[in-house]
Amino acid sequence: MSTDTDPTTGEATATADTSVDAAATRKATAGATPSDGIRTGMRPDRQEPTLPTLGAIGMLRWGWRQLTSMRTALFLLLLLSIAAVPGSIFPQRNIDAGRVADYIAQNPTSSPWLDKLGFFDVYASPWFSAIYLLLFVSLVGCIVPRTKVHLSALRSRPPRAPARLKRLDEHAEITTTLSPDEALSAARAVLKRKRFRLHSHDATSVSAESGYLRETGNLLFHLALTGIIIGMAVGHLLGWRGDIILAEGDKFASSAGTYNTISPGPWVDTETLPPFVLSLDKLHVEFNETPGRSFGTPRLFDAQTTLQSSPGAPKSSENVSVNHPITVDGADIFLLGNGYTPVITVKDAKGSVLYREATPFLPQDGNYRSVGVIKVPSASPKQLGFTGFFLPTAEPSFTNGPVSIFPDTNNPEVALSVWEGNLFPGGAPQSVYTLNTDEMKQVTKADGSPALIRLKPGQTYQLPGDRGSITFDSVKRFAGLSVRTDPGAPISLVCAILATLGLILGLTIKRRRVFVRVRPAPATTGDGPDGGTLDSPAGADGRPATVVTIGGLSKDSDPGLAAIVSAITTGVHDRLAERTDRS
Amino acid sequence: MNLAANANAALYASMIVYTLAMLAFTWHLAARAPKVADSKAVAESRAEVAANEREGVLVGAGAPTPAERRPATPYAAGPGFEESLKSRQRGSIALMLTYLASALLVASVLMRGLAVGRPPWGNMFEFATAATAAVGAAYSVLAKRNNWQWLGVFIVTPILLVLGLALTVLYTEAGELMPALKSYWLGIHVSVAFLAVAFFTLAFAVGLLYLVRLRREEKPPAKPNFIESLPSSASLERTAYSLNMVAFILWTFTLIAGAIWAKQAWGAYWQWDPKEVWTFVIWTVYAAYMHGRATAGVDHRKSMYIALAGYVAVIINFTLVNLVSTFVGMHNYSGM
Ligand code: HEM
Repeated sequence: MSTDTDPTTGEATATADTSVDAAATRKATAGATPSDGIRTGMRPDRQEPTLPTLGAIGMLRWGWRQLTSMRTALFLLLLLSIAAVPGSIFPQRNIDAGRVADYIAQNPTSSPWLDKLGFFDVYASPWFSAIYLLLFVSLVGCIVPRTKVHLSALRSRPPRAPARLKRLDEHAEITTTLSPDEALSAARAVLKRKRFRLHSHDATSVSAESGYLRETGNLLFHLALTGIIIGMAVGHLLGWRGDIILAEGDKFASSAGTYNTISPGPWVDTETLPPFVLSLDKLHVEFNETPGRSFGTPRLFDAQTTLQSSPGAPKSSENVSVNHPITVDGADIFLLGNGYTPVITVKDAKGSVLYREATPFLPQDGNYRSVGVIKVPSASPKQLGFTGFFLPTAEPSFTNGPVSIFPDTNNPEVALSVWEGNLFPGGAPQSVYTLNTDEMKQVTKADGSPALIRLKPGQTYQLPGDRGSITFDSVKRFAGLSVRTDPGAPISLVCAILATLGLILGLTIKRRRVFVRVRPAPATTGDGPDGGTLDSPAGADGRPATVVTIGGLSKDSDPGLAAIVSAITTGVHDRLAERTDRS
Repeated sequence: MNLAANANAALYASMIVYTLAMLAFTWHLAARAPKVADSKAVAESRAEVAANEREGVLVGAGAPTPAERRPATPYAAGPGFEESLKSRQRGSIALMLTYLASALLVASVLMRGLAVGRPPWGNMFEFATAATAAVGAAYSVLAKRNNWQWLGVFIVTPILLVLGLALTVLYTEAGELMPALKSYWLGIHVSVAFLAVAFFTLAFAVGLLYLVRLRREEKPPAKPNFIESLPSSASLERTAYSLNMVAFILWTFTLIAGAIWAKQAWGAYWQWDPKEVWTFVIWTVYAAYMHGRATAGVDHRKSMYIALAGYVAVIINFTLVNLVSTFVGMHNYSGM
């Protein structure tokens, strides 16, 4: 490319343009690849080879520039996308801690390493956090100076017309019998109509610029990205979630202690949770019963509940279903799971009831083969524990062990084994869904084989020895409810919408510059100079003729630019036509 | 005949017509290859290019560089390339066939939607047909006005492959939706996602052609073929960029609508489940592409590699991740 008279160097650019543009031109004329000048044209990409001045401050400044350069942003974005992938390959604790435990058990050699490196907690791992924090810092470090530059660009005037307009992307030259002033004002009118910002640096030219909204949109987009991240942080700090398993007919009063699990954000005061009371009247569930590929898939989950915003407040009937949470006191209640709670009664040898409860069994597969535990600490002489399966539609033969073949209760059955001994070794707290058999022994029948219990609703099993009996009374459904608040979500939502808007503006609007210059036509020639067309030969009827040169520039491919240039030539012609009509 | 059967009939019919369109597009490309006799014109166009480059202009406001703007090589399309009548006729025939096939496919998807009384994308089979319908429709709408006959075979062939796969491997009887998928946000989220994928797909095809074209511009082959009849590499690159840009905007919207839907369904708008992870990965890769393209000193070829990698992520998202997450999804909804 040429290093001789570049139209924007020299008097034109250096005086009127922003320093950024001047830098770009400097670089371009210094012989960089052609694309450099263009790309840096309108944005403060500080890729300038500014070598660090020695010293700590210089180094810091240099580091900062590197961090906030677009190349770094590009690199960090790629890094972030690669770093996110393992979280979709390895099971994650934040989604399903149980699967992580299974995976670790199945891969004893690799998983301790994976665990140390954070592969089961990718999105909370130090390396993932480091990448997005760097990106965040880079983003802020990028927005601030760009906003300053843009604000001053908004106030500045379009630059002086370059010397040779014919070198611009789009250009045209016409000769007209309009006077220079008339021609220029015709051009101005067209540009004005097209919402260009105009400025005349001298009497024979006009400079026009449009598309400032492009950078505005771009900045809005990047700013809104930071807003989304801030919203997420707020949600993390001030949000909380609690999960409950509630059987049909049961009632739940919300407070920090009553949730099965609760995970409050670091800044949440768990004393101030909303004190609502919720009872589950009925859980409607339907499964697909038509044979075929989707046999047994769920069709409907709908929890019919009664809600009070505080104990004693008026009751209202509410339906919670998948995709339709209910809201109370800023907390949303979601239906996230469901399963079965067999009602089981354990009696001692004398027939007095030791245990009668609807016990939730947790589903393990699509057909709701569910596992659960019944703990009877009051049994004597030794504590009793039952562990096993609930099967909504038991496969009767048990040839493959206890298996359910349909998710609804077409043939419900429990299959349990019995243990006796110390239920709570060391008195340590334990999950209600697991039986710690460290200090327990399996109960056997008289012939020494383990006692295996299979019960249908209404059936009773006499435990061997004088240990009493166990009865499977009935089965109810339970709903897995999740109560959540996220005060950051509205912030993120608004910012996400703004980001989309900014993106659309930033990507679709074109930044354009158009220059028009007029000069008197050389008097003698019959043909326009430089091959331009002639309305009528200069001075043919004694009036002065004017050569109008138009040049337009755009940032990228821009089919609209040619249309603008030709609109100006048309505008000039029209003005002439108007005048001819009038005279 | 009921609607579902009609939908299947329309699907088969559209595959037959797409096959004809594919043949017609190939036939069209065969007629496009420049004759070797054109080499004189080539030499002239080289001289012109050199002149243009000497005229190079750089302006602060940012203009395409001379090298990008002007056909930098021999056989460049545009004024240099005269499309023969024969190739134009074949191109129109192929386009007509594509319109017909795409209309049949869209009709098939609509009828299936009516048959099941919900948006027709509740399982992998419906996903595949709806996505290909979006690609076919997007191409049909844009092809004529942009003179994209040369692109046809690279769009129609993958559509046929995916439809064939959908019918043989993924076929599912029209049925109802899982409760988790019953939300109007699903309609919004997924339909915009399909549109985005359609644009990503067009951009991917153009991007690949750009790389081939660029290579052959740098090392002109002994014998020109249809590649030399395509628009210049710079122009292909810009086309791919514009398509990717539209797709990226749509994808941004997809991401947000997905988050809103997740908030309704799961109570948290973002929890990094595999589908969310990949939606995000696609988004960041394409954001990197946009940055690369706008960054000084990163050449367009490198940026295009990033975009192609993004498309690989799109494919993974719609195949592997779907299969995995139906698993996880089942798990989510049947138990805690
Ligand atoms: C959170 C990560 C980021 C994302 C997702 C992102 C995304 C994008 C996207 C999609 C564009 C093209 C849209 C447009 O032109 O309006 C863009 C443009 C741009 N980005 Fe970013 N960006 C991020 C961070 C950054 C950072 C840290 C910087 C500063 C170094 C930066 C500087 C720019 C600039 C200068 C442009 C303008 C390019 C042009 O004029 O076409 N971005 N960004």
